[in-house]
Parts: sequence; C-alpha cells; structure tokens
Amino acid sequence: GKEKASQLHAEGSSFDPSAFAENLLSFMGLNRLEDEGEMSGGYLPQDAWQKVGNRAQCCFRTAPTFHYMLGSFLAEPPPPRQRIA
Amino acid sequence: MARPLGEVHKRFLQTMMAKGIIDGDKAKALLRHCCETHGAPINDHLDEFIEVINAQLQPMFMQIRKGMSEEDGLQYYALVNMAETDVTRMSSDYADNELELFRKKKTMDLIVDSDTGTASSTDILNCADSLQTKKLKKKETEHVLNRLVQDEWLKEKQGEYSLSTRCIMEMEPYIRRFYQDQVKLCHICHNVVLQCQMCENPTCGIKIHVPCVARYFKGRTDPRCPACEDFWPHEIPEVNRPSSQS
Amino acid sequence: TSQVQKGLDRLTPAQVDLKTAEVVQFIFVKDQKKIPIRRADIVKHVVKEYRNIYPEILKRTSRTFETVFGLSLKEIDSKNHVYILVNKLDPPDGELLSMTPSNPKTGLLFVILGIIFMKGGVVKESMVWNTLKKLRVDPGEKHVDFGDVKKVVIEEFVKQRYLEHVRVPHTEPLEFEFRWGQRADIEVSKVKLLEFMGQLHDQDPQSWSQQYREATTPQASTAPSGPVSQR
Ligand SMILES: [Zn+2]
Ligand SMILES: [Zn+2]
Repeated sequence: GKEKASQLHAEGSSFDPSAFAENLLSFMGLNRLEDEGEMSGGYLPQDAWQKVGNRAQCCFRTAPTFHYMLGSFLAEPPPPRQRIA
Repeated sequence: MARPLGEVHKRFLQTMMAKGIIDGDKAKALLRHCCETHGAPINDHLDEFIEVINAQLQPMFMQIRKGMSEEDGLQYYALVNMAETDVTRMSSDYADNELELFRKKKTMDLIVDSDTGTASSTDILNCADSLQTKKLKKKETEHVLNRLVQDEWLKEKQGEYSLSTRCIMEMEPYIRRFYQDQVKLCHICHNVVLQCQMCENPTCGIKIHVPCVARYFKGRTDPRCPACEDFWPHEIPEVNRPSSQS
Repeated sequence: TSQVQKGLDRLTPAQVDLKTAEVVQFIFVKDQKKIPIRRADIVKHVVKEYRNIYPEILKRTSRTFETVFGLSLKEIDSKNHVYILVNKLDPPDGELLSMTPSNPKTGLLFVILGIIFMKGGVVKESMVWNTLKKLRVDPGEKHVDFGDVKKVVIEEFVKQRYLEHVRVPHTEPLEFEFRWGQRADIEVSKVKLLEFMGQLHDQDPQSWSQQYREATTPQASTAPSGPVSQR
C-alpha cells in the first residue's frame, strides 16, 4: 500500500550509472579516439580525478587537517658536549 | 582576554592548515579573498591580523610564523606546531623508521653538517642501511624521500636534498638545540643558515644565505667578506625581486 | 555536575588548559587520516588521571574547535561515544577554491556517494565497480591516483565512516552493498551533490524529483549530530 503509493509519486528522471560515467568522462576531459567502441577508447588527462575532486569539494564540509614535523618524534637529549678541560 | 576570532580569521587559519606554508604575496591575497568571501572590509594589515590568530593559537602550542626562505629570500608564513608531547608523537603521517631516516643522526645530520646545506640521495640511501627501528629497502627509502619532498619537509634539486623553508621555520628551535655546535647563524640576517656561501678564509669561515649575499653585495665591484675583509670568491647572485604586488 | 566541580576545584586553571590542549592535539592527530575518535581512546591516551573532569575537558575542547578553528566536534555514535571533526564554514569557492586544490580521492568519493544517493540510498557493490571501471578505475589494478582502489574504498572510506559496506543476507556467492556512512551524512550536502549531477547531465537537478525532495527536506532521522557541548 504505502510503498506502492510512494513509487507512483516517484516519477521524474531515472538515474543511469552508465550515462553518469559517460558524462563524467567528458567532464574529466577524455580524449576520445576515433573508430573505437564507446567505452574502450580514449585516454584521460593526468589531472582528470583532481578536476573532479576540485569540483566536488563544494559538496563536502571536510575539516582541514593539521600536519607537522616538530613533535612527531621523540627528540633525544643532546649528546654531552665535549669540552677541553 | 584575547580578541575573539571572526569567520575571516577562521577561514585564513583553515587555509593555512590545508597549505602548511605560503609566501607573503599569497598570504596577502588569501587575506583579501577571505575578507571578500565573508563580506568583510578588506584588511591590509596582515601581520596584525595574524597576531590576533596567534593569540588564540598559543594555548594549543601552534603558531603562524613568519620567516625567510634560504632559497629565494622571500617572506613566508607557515603554520607550525610547537608542542613535543606523547600526544603529538602519535602523529601518523610517517612511520617510526621513516622519521628515523629523516631526523637527527640521519638525513638531518647529513644536511646540517655539510658546508652546502645539502645531502646527496646516495648518501641518504647509504645511511638508510643502518636504521635501528626497521630497515627500509632502497625503493622504500626513495618513496619516503619523495613523500617528504611532496609534503614540503625536504627540497630536492638534481639529486641533492636540503631542508625546505617550511621545515626550517618549524624545526628552528630543534636545530638550534641539537646542532648548537655545528649550525651557524647568517652573518647578515642572524637566522639559522644551512644553504649559503661561506668565507674561504680558514680563520673566518662566516656563512651568508645566498639571498643575503645578493642583497649585501649588490652594486659592489670589489666584494669583500663583511667579517674579515678577505676577497669574497663566490659568484654574486642577482637580487630576487618579489613579484609586483606587495 | 558537582562531581566535576569538585574535580576542577582541585586543579589549577593552567592544568585544565594544558589537558584541553592535549585533547585538541589528539583529535587533530586522529583527524589527519579522518579516523573517528572514540571517547575511550581520549580518556585512555590523554585525559588519564583527569577522567573525573572529562565532561568539562570535552566541553572546552569542543569550544576551542568552534571559536578558534571554525570546526565542530560531532558525536556520530551516542552509544559508543564516537566523534568526528566537521567544518562549520561553507566550502570555499571562487579565488579561494583555486588556492586550495583538493585531493583526487574527493573525486572518487563523490562518484561513489553520488551513485548511492541517486539510486535511493543503497547499491550493490558490483554496480560501483562497474561504474568505476568505465571511469578507467579497475579494482584489480594499481591506480595512479588511488593506488590499491579496492583497499581505499572498502577499508579507508569505511574506516573514515564515509561508506558502509555490508553483506546482503542469504546470498550465495557473497554479495555486499554500499550505503552512506555517518560521516557522509554529516559532511556531504545532498543539494550541492545534486547540483553537480545536474551540471554533468546537463539537466535540471529538480528533474530527479525524489532525490531533490530528499535533498531539500531536513532530516530528522539521521545519525545524532548535535554538537558535543550540548551533551
Ligand atoms: Zn641571512
Ligand atoms: Zn671572512
């Protein structure tokens, strides 16, 4: 009953993962090769995923992380200084 | 009570966390962008602005520190940690043997003890053989070195490694503490000096940062050591002008 | 409570400040890899002999994250007391965005979370891998940006609580499905995600009416997400 009703109301576009992948490849700047099947051909630029990451960043409220070198290891006491008596 | 921080301060601080280090021009631009983003009037007083943040960071032993790069002589701002505790030692960016490769007795010794402030990849790979925590294979050592360069703790140029500006800015207290007998201060700017030119008079031997050399000897036809007056035998580099806006 | 007050009375303000700073450091350390923080670990590794004033220390820690860093410490599991650090500021845009390039892994996360959301909240593991293969990311091969992708997705993202990876009951051979993890529920804006989807498909985000409705109605049923200071 209830489920069916909500399904009836769920008109609107459906989501096709294959079309999504195709559109994302275009967004990434895929160089499509001629004479190739739709999925096999072409190569992605080096920054393809960086590009998606940069655009997707606005969807995330991720906290920045804090990195450091000082304090990340135990500093041993300084060696005894050699002195001329 | 320290002044409370607004969104502009927090935004600036968060960007410093993400970037670790930025040069002076970028810091000014960043402050401008932060003001614009939050609809605040443009603030040109970068150092005062940073002081307000630092007052709030102090209880956490963090600081946005200002310093000069040995490489290009420009001003930089870096977010540094000042605490050395059991908690900060849990930091997970590098494994114990990777840190051992980097720190005292290994790479840092090679760099600080050298006259040039650099260590060759061959020497670093050799010293990786004697790690006490856990051995690193050659490939693994190279991978760690790459990561240290990527994270801006080391700088690499044609197989020679030096400490990055970020590293020197954060580690200066450590360097002064553990290398007090080896490390010298620049004769011109009095900061710790690693990459430099050195007076060749054996009784003098003062060191000067390359950018400090450029500024000090600019326009002098007969360059002489500022300490012993001996002829300065090195090539005098051009002064590196900061890019237009300032 | 008075118990906490009694504990506080026996300490100097400087001692309490120092302990608070250590808890801040500890949370920053755990957050370096986006690992959720367990109360038990905070007490065991940091608070230690100050455990009787733990509520006060956590309140101050939470306040520090908000007032100094613009971050919020949120409890994602009120039974086991697990926390994550979330940003209170809006994600950067324009010039600010160009100053802070993101990690390619954010792109990978977007793809996976996007498929799950667009498919109604749960998808078979195979659908994710099939889509990723079309994007030249093969779980059987080492990827230039992600290395061992399989490990990143079903270990790292799951540990960070971006994803839930659970067995479908009564399946032979074994089948798994993906859902959003509690971190994704709190960190990710469904509206913004849908906008990006719309841009990619050159389509009005509202045309996915069901997803649009879900993205725009405030949810009452998601994981407990109140700031720690209220507890
Ligand atoms: Zn100098
Ligand atoms: Zn001299």
